[in-house]
Amino acid sequence: MKFELTEEQGLIQQSARDFAKEFLDPVAADLDRTGEFPTAIVKELAKHDFLGLHLPADAGGAAAGFVSYIAAIEALSRSCSAVASIVNNQAMSSYAIYHWGSADLKKKYVAPLIKGEIIGAFAVYEHGPTPGIGPDALTATKQDGGYVLKGTKAYVRNAGVANVYVVFAITDPADPKALTGFVVDATAPGLKVGPKHSTMGLKGCPVADVVFENVAVPEGAVLGTVKKGREIVTRTLALASIAEGAQTVGIGQTAVEHAAGHARERVQFGKPVGTFQAVQTLLAESKTDCYLARLALFNAAQLVEDGKPFETEAAMLKSFLARLGSKILLDTCQVEGGMGYSETMPIPRLFRDIAGTNLLDAPADFPDGVIAASIN
Amino acid sequence: MPGIITFSEERELGKQLLTPALELKKSLSGPVTVLALNDADAKELAALGADKVLVLQAAGGWPEGLSEAISGLVSTAAPSIFLVGGTLPGKHIGAYVAAKLNLAMVTDAKSLKVENGKLLTTRLLFAGLALCEEESVLPVVATIPSRTFLPPNAAGKAGAAETVKAETDSRVAISDITRAESSGVDIGAATRVVAVGRGFRKQEDLKLAQDLASVFHAEIACSRPVAEEEHWLPIDHYVGISGHTVKPELYVAVGISGQVQHMVGARESKVIAAIDNDEHAPIFEAADYGIVGDLYEVLPLLTAALKKK
Amino acid sequence: MPKCLVCYKWTLDEQDIRVNPDDLSLDTSRAKAKISDFDRNAIEEATLIVEKHGGSVNALSYGTPDVKQSLKDVLSRGPEKVYWIAQSGAQTSDAYVTANVLAAAIRKLGQYDLILCGEGSSDEFNRQTPVRLAALLGLPCVTYVEKLSVEGDTIKATRRVADCSEVATVKGPVVISVLNQINKPRIPTLKQVLGAAKKPNEEIKIADLGLKPESLQPKSARKSVKGFVTKRKKIVYKEANAAANVAKLASSLAAEGLC
Repeated sequence: MKFELTEEQGLIQQSARDFAKEFLDPVAADLDRTGEFPTAIVKELAKHDFLGLHLPADAGGAAAGFVSYIAAIEALSRSCSAVASIVNNQAMSSYAIYHWGSADLKKKYVAPLIKGEIIGAFAVYEHGPTPGIGPDALTATKQDGGYVLKGTKAYVRNAGVANVYVVFAITDPADPKALTGFVVDATAPGLKVGPKHSTMGLKGCPVADVVFENVAVPEGAVLGTVKKGREIVTRTLALASIAEGAQTVGIGQTAVEHAAGHARERVQFGKPVGTFQAVQTLLAESKTDCYLARLALFNAAQLVEDGKPFETEAAMLKSFLARLGSKILLDTCQVEGGMGYSETMPIPRLFRDIAGTNLLDAPADFPDGVIAASIN
Repeated sequence: MPGIITFSEERELGKQLLTPALELKKSLSGPVTVLALNDADAKELAALGADKVLVLQAAGGWPEGLSEAISGLVSTAAPSIFLVGGTLPGKHIGAYVAAKLNLAMVTDAKSLKVENGKLLTTRLLFAGLALCEEESVLPVVATIPSRTFLPPNAAGKAGAAETVKAETDSRVAISDITRAESSGVDIGAATRVVAVGRGFRKQEDLKLAQDLASVFHAEIACSRPVAEEEHWLPIDHYVGISGHTVKPELYVAVGISGQVQHMVGARESKVIAAIDNDEHAPIFEAADYGIVGDLYEVLPLLTAALKKK
Repeated sequence: MPKCLVCYKWTLDEQDIRVNPDDLSLDTSRAKAKISDFDRNAIEEATLIVEKHGGSVNALSYGTPDVKQSLKDVLSRGPEKVYWIAQSGAQTSDAYVTANVLAAAIRKLGQYDLILCGEGSSDEFNRQTPVRLAALLGLPCVTYVEKLSVEGDTIKATRRVADCSEVATVKGPVVISVLNQINKPRIPTLKQVLGAAKKPNEEIKIADLGLKPESLQPKSARKSVKGFVTKRKKIVYKEANAAANVAKLASSLAAEGLC
């Protein structure tokens, strides 16, 4: 049983750290302020093979394995989690199209996504209680030569900048669980991207609703098999949830290191604040939580890479992070006190970003349910 | 009677080398022989205590091209120590001679002493982070940076001068020699320095530092990026591990974070004051006095306050 | 189509080294190893030349057995093959020994058009090895190069010496040492990082170099290393009011007799 990255995984992690230091550190604060989609950085990510890290060589990817992907996402998140979100969402669309798409769909979209020539989005959620239920649920009605899509997808990441949307619709309102996946070009007539949501954090990764006003798509746009789209959603979101966990851990790690540095240098009452027990407790708990989360993260990633069942482990990871991810930021902010609260410090941005990484893509929407089920 | 040989293509540095040479002579037997590139240098060096001066008559061109010739002269004379002025050409020549004659070489010795038949030196390691003490077997080559020593006082009698023909390495042709724009100011000799860094937003803003410098009668220097990347000041104004080392009585660093690669060139100043807006900048650990603040606000106030005094 | 060889050193990252305030000893326990900074410039320059003109880039390094950790790293940066010489105790080798070992290895490996090195290693910064190599191999040497161009078998190197720049023109084979400003080493893409695993590396054993024992015996020995710390007052004025800070600094400087 080894708890170390292999040499190759370590090199990828180091490369991702070097990339983050070189390209992300200088812009992270500005990106948070402006929320402008970082096109230049996406080009650099593509150039350095981050956008195809997880895909096989025959597709043009780097074939690095899921553990390497997770290590890279964590490394990028230490500097700028908004960019990691962009990478994750790009990866979700390229992954889905690569594994379930027809030869034509793969040929049209996978290579351009890997090269960063186009941006992809993965749209599952709706304003209703579950996808497929509610007045705005995305429906796909069969017609000659294809389908007509009508409805709204909510809180789609990469919306507006995406050139291609991987969406899931119901073909039969009486059977809302039977989703069908579609790959829709952003230029399709009737596809309208709503105004950008102003989000708490992860600014730079745009979030918006996407409205489908009778968007006609050809037969060839179907992803996988009709009515069998749920398996695409489940699998892709399960992996994405672990990747978002990597974002949480990366943000937490940066917060812990920053607070530790502060504790060493900030002197009050003649001593570094790090010598006060209250501060030590906060730092110790934060560091411990981050350490345990990382172990859980890489364990889940390894299970994925080994092709073993991982849903329970991924759920436990998400459950742990949901409870403690934000606590790390609460505590590190407390360590830094007034200074940490100031926007000239990274803590506020990290605080806002970490909340965003816990929101989406939990396996089966409710990790504790999955864990409880595994106990029985 | 092996002795000591010294060489620098720069006259002032050549003079400074005589100080450690004459000191080392006390522990070693043998004459101090100076290699010079022209008669004018030779005359001044002979007057400072060299026992003998050899003037190399070469076709001209780069000093490094004389490496083989100098190596031959050193080989024949077989000194215990070959001291070379630590300019870039000097280091090149020194290393060449060391390799040809199978000798150790100490680069940029800060101090030298002969003990138990070996040369004991101190020099910097890890980009200036540490000082190490080494001993080297004799014979040995050592380079000494400019201004490590002061030149000696004039000696009683002048040493003898002799001319030798020297061949230049014909394999390398040197052309297009361009002096970088120089203000003619020798930052290394300044007694007061105001240094500017990346905290300044544009070149015109350096005027704020100039105003402060005038009040102090100080020279303006800078950190490496300001010269090498922004080109706001000539290359010969930058202080740091690859630039100048300064030892003024006052060094004021403005908008400089204080990385060790810069501070290595400034840390022997008598008093260091720093102005920077980052409370955590390393410069405040390396300074005697500091102000945390916006230099655009602080500089004019400081200049005005000092004018009043 | 120049055949290039880059010599590099696997060093401790000096940024990670801490000085123990009590006795000024160095704490290297947290220091990670890296390819010496200026050697990265040399590797990048060779890679750029070969991308432009064709040819090949090999890498060569001599060090302790830790040098094996550097192989994938260097191969991800452009060279097609890396040769390495590992020797326990190499950390005590001085430039004299290092140059003897590298020169012997280069003689064994054959003819190269361009041998590139960094100006100096980031830990010791002796700046001796490139010139020593040239002297031992009987090759011309151009040091402190900030711009390099290859025209057929002629190399034009722009040197930066003090505040002067000059162009050195020389026919290969030649040893070149490069300055930090010659280029910006690229961050390897992830495919290059993964591809490094497939590139060859070859160990050269010291015993096979045919060196006399005295060539492997260092002539300089380190006696002590201490952190260089200058005692400073570290008085920092950081009131919210800039004028108050200025007044205090002016008083302090006056007290020092400086104004």
